[in-house]
Amino acid sequence: MLAAQIFAVVIFIAMFILIVLDKIERHYVTLGCGVLTLLIVFGICMRSGTAIWNTIAVKEFFTKEFWYQVTESESKGINWATIVFIAGMMVMVEGMAKAGFFRWLCMRIAYLVKCKTIPIFITFMIMSAVLSMFIDSITVIMFLAAVTVELAQLLKFNPIPMILSEIFCANLGGSATMCGDPPNIIVGTSMGFSFFDFLMNTGAVAGICLVICILFFYIVFRKELVSKHAEKVDMTKLPKPSEAITDKKGFILSSIIFGIAVVLLVTHSMTHLTVASIGTFIAIITLIANFKAIPELLKKVDYKTLLFFIGLFIVVCGLEETGILKYIADFISDISGGNIMLMVAIILWLSAIASAFVDNIPFAATMVPVIQSLAPIVTASGADQHTLAWALSLGTDIGGSATPIGASANVVGTSVAAKNGYPISWGRYCKKLAPATVIVLAISTVYLFVRYL
Amino acid sequence: MSQLIISVGREFGSGGRVIAEELAKRFDIPIYDRHLITEIANKTGMSPEEIEKLNEAPNSRLISRRVRGFSNSIEDNIAEMQFDFIRKKAESGESFVVVGRCSESKLKGFEGLVSLFILGDMDAKIKRVMEIYEMNEHDAKNFIEKKDKKRKRYHNYHVHMHWGDSRLYDLSINSSRLGIEKTIDYLETYIRARMG
Repeated sequence: MLAAQIFAVVIFIAMFILIVLDKIERHYVTLGCGVLTLLIVFGICMRSGTAIWNTIAVKEFFTKEFWYQVTESESKGINWATIVFIAGMMVMVEGMAKAGFFRWLCMRIAYLVKCKTIPIFITFMIMSAVLSMFIDSITVIMFLAAVTVELAQLLKFNPIPMILSEIFCANLGGSATMCGDPPNIIVGTSMGFSFFDFLMNTGAVAGICLVICILFFYIVFRKELVSKHAEKVDMTKLPKPSEAITDKKGFILSSIIFGIAVVLLVTHSMTHLTVASIGTFIAIITLIANFKAIPELLKKVDYKTLLFFIGLFIVVCGLEETGILKYIADFISDISGGNIMLMVAIILWLSAIASAFVDNIPFAATMVPVIQSLAPIVTASGADQHTLAWALSLGTDIGGSATPIGASANVVGTSVAAKNGYPISWGRYCKKLAPATVIVLAISTVYLFVRYL
Repeated sequence: MSQLIISVGREFGSGGRVIAEELAKRFDIPIYDRHLITEIANKTGMSPEEIEKLNEAPNSRLISRRVRGFSNSIEDNIAEMQFDFIRKKAESGESFVVVGRCSESKLKGFEGLVSLFILGDMDAKIKRVMEIYEMNEHDAKNFIEKKDKKRKRYHNYHVHMHWGDSRLYDLSINSSRLGIEKTIDYLETYIRARMG
């Protein structure tokens, strides 16, 4: 077992280093490391066909619980539910983008507030948070930042404060729901949570933090947003929201499909449909609605991310099956000395600090089995057994906002800004967003202590 | 060949930039080198000096991340803006000379592209750098190595094949063999032959 443990750790560390170095595309890295885990750790060292079979977990597709789940259950091995759900949502989002939904929504809201800078600033932050509750933050920021730059050029204001605030709110909004951010999907599907569980727990604190953040960003950015060169807004010179719609029928259909997705997600604890079923259903109806564009939509699905997830789950299984994650859990338990408050604080802040610098998806996938191991200690102390799960979700989702590389939305937002002539350096980014992150984490810490302990 | 795009990759100190400038004069076409820096400076509001520092520079790997083709690194975004600029120029049908910027690969597929790589003997490059930058031999050698290392990392990050690999270019030439003037003459003859 010792050899298996050593190889599992070496493969995991090598994977992390290669992801950070970004020399080889990250899906090749995780898949390569995943194959090595299957061959060396499970095959050669452990000689366990069962471990390989359990890790690949294809049998899950043929179980009723994968599609329809009445009672909560935890999953092991490759988290196919996460992968199927993300793939389904990717198809839906491509359909919406193709019809011009996101650009239309941004322009519509700008028109509703009469294209005034401060109201745009506030409504775009709220829109960023709300959209990110259901759609991946990369897509949200890709469109929002592009429209922000366009409006900034027309209305002559500096788009950087607005883009930074949108990025932060996208990450915050993502923390509110099960499907908002990949770590939440991993935590939710691994531990059998519903959309509503997240909304009532992480969503509640995300809502409070959103209000505080809007105030914070308004105070720190208001001077930068009011341009000396600002002229009276001539709405006739601005592009009309309806011009954003490329295909009216497609637009209506994709809006309906999005509505269905939201309803299915909000009610899935009542309908017992799993996120895998919802993802599959949404993808199918999107493809039917865009029958002629099926090849185009399927081509645009980000397969690299899906493959990245598959490889990642295998490598994490290597650590789990060899007991390494149990050691980490024991270590956290030891240093916290059985003090649940300290344990929650460690999980929250460690997740946040790690997520500020490394991809939060591998981190969350690694930590899920760790908090599962720690759950009995939490329950024994009389605290809510899911406290650590909420701490992990909040830490990974919010911590990512602190630096330009912490989350995908940050990278996309800063890149869109730079490509349009507004480069954002690390210093510029961290000066305002790192303090905002610390504020939200502090609020989350207090929230977790007061509500669950 | 109605459009002529001369892409000049070069080792530092090999005289590549001088060769590119002279070719631009002989074919009476614009050259994009410094111009690309002022272009980006105008677009971003950064000073040309700031852009110069980030120009043809590799990103800092530990503080950069790439997601679906987007990068937070200012170096990467400046590089992308320059690639877009030369691509648009090429698509417009304009003839021009471009120095560096992975142009041999980024403009691959344009019929009028002639890609060159200028290299040189280390002794000759040191001599040239000592004269131009008024450095001693040791400093000149270090300077050359530092510059070439930076160009190589920049190129190999944005392009799959290696900087200076002869398979990437139509012609790789050592300017120390014929000297800069005769190298230019030779390249002019070659380009005219290509133009038919």
